[in-house]
Amino acid sequence: MRSNVLSVARARPIPDLHARDSYRSVAAKVVSVRAEEVFARDGEVLAIDDIDALHDMRVATRRLRAALEIFGPCLPRRSCAAALAEIKQLADALGERRDRDVQIQWLTEYAQARSGAEKAAVLGLVWRLRDEQTTANEVLARTLAQVHESDLRGRLQKLARRADGHAAKRRRHGHGHAGARSANGQR
Amino acid sequence: MKAKRVHGLHPDAPMFVNAAKIVRARTEELYALAPNALDESNAKALHDMRIAAKRLRYVLELTGFCFGPYGAKAARRMRELQDAIGAVHDCDVFEPRVRADIGTLRAEDARRLAAGALANGGEPAAVPRARRATYGALEALAIDQQARRAILFAQFRKRWAAIERSDFRDRLLAALEQPPTDAA
Repeated sequence: MRSNVLSVARARPIPDLHARDSYRSVAAKVVSVRAEEVFARDGEVLAIDDIDALHDMRVATRRLRAALEIFGPCLPRRSCAAALAEIKQLADALGERRDRDVQIQWLTEYAQARSGAEKAAVLGLVWRLRDEQTTANEVLARTLAQVHESDLRGRLQKLARRADGHAAKRRRHGHGHAGARSANGQR
Repeated sequence: MKAKRVHGLHPDAPMFVNAAKIVRARTEELYALAPNALDESNAKALHDMRIAAKRLRYVLELTGFCFGPYGAKAARRMRELQDAIGAVHDCDVFEPRVRADIGTLRAEDARRLAAGALANGGEPAAVPRARRATYGALEALAIDQQARRAILFAQFRKRWAAIERSDFRDRLLAALEQPPTDAA
């Protein structure tokens, strides 16, 4: 039951990425841009009549989660884990709303091709899903408020700056590789 | 399904060296899950493969610039695969939702009919005609989802077969071995 809406926001291009740059310096650039993408349509996602904004934010959270997981070894472990947990919570809340958005959209079209009692029954299910959509939206509103209160956006930019700071410092001192770390940030 | 740890990543080593290790690990995860996921009755295995395809897709989207033209192509293949599996997964989520709705209505009706019979004495009244139509319509919707799933699963299988035919894994792993071009 994929949505008919095809206008998924494309990932913003990140200029000046080079394969031979250090993992750390790429981490700083990618995390910074992908974090900003999450908040690009922040003010629009609670509108139930525009389901694209929420979808864009959801896709942006996926990209950001992927970035934090991939670049975890370059980022301060605890701050990264805390940010990831908060993004997961936001993604879950977005997902609950999105599921209803898509089901309602699909069922409404399905109902158009039906008539009489069958159509009424399907529209009855649509109404029950609308109730769930409203509840999911309330949860999302609370989650977004928490995200703002905890300044997740600012903390993510700080994470990116710290990775960048390390990279710049090591470039200045002409260091080679740091100790190996696994993708979950453990040395 | 938790992603396997990728060991030996060096924050100050070149991006392409680390990215290759992550892509290799995520590719192996995906391929390990495929045999079970191709069993139509194994929804859990398919769900795991969807997550693995999603992980590989996003890793490739983020690091594809290290691996020449095949990096971007591989990311597109994974997006298509993820979409194909996602469509099957939507049916796996929605059909039980419809059946849960039937269950809720059935419980409500049984309660109402029992309350009526207890108040008036005697047998419960018949389920009203309009309600019977509702049950019929929702059951038809659940069957529609089941049929849709079978079609979408066949499409997923076809897509996976095409990926295999195109030597996706070997070509991707070969791209990881190439020295990177300098451009992003």
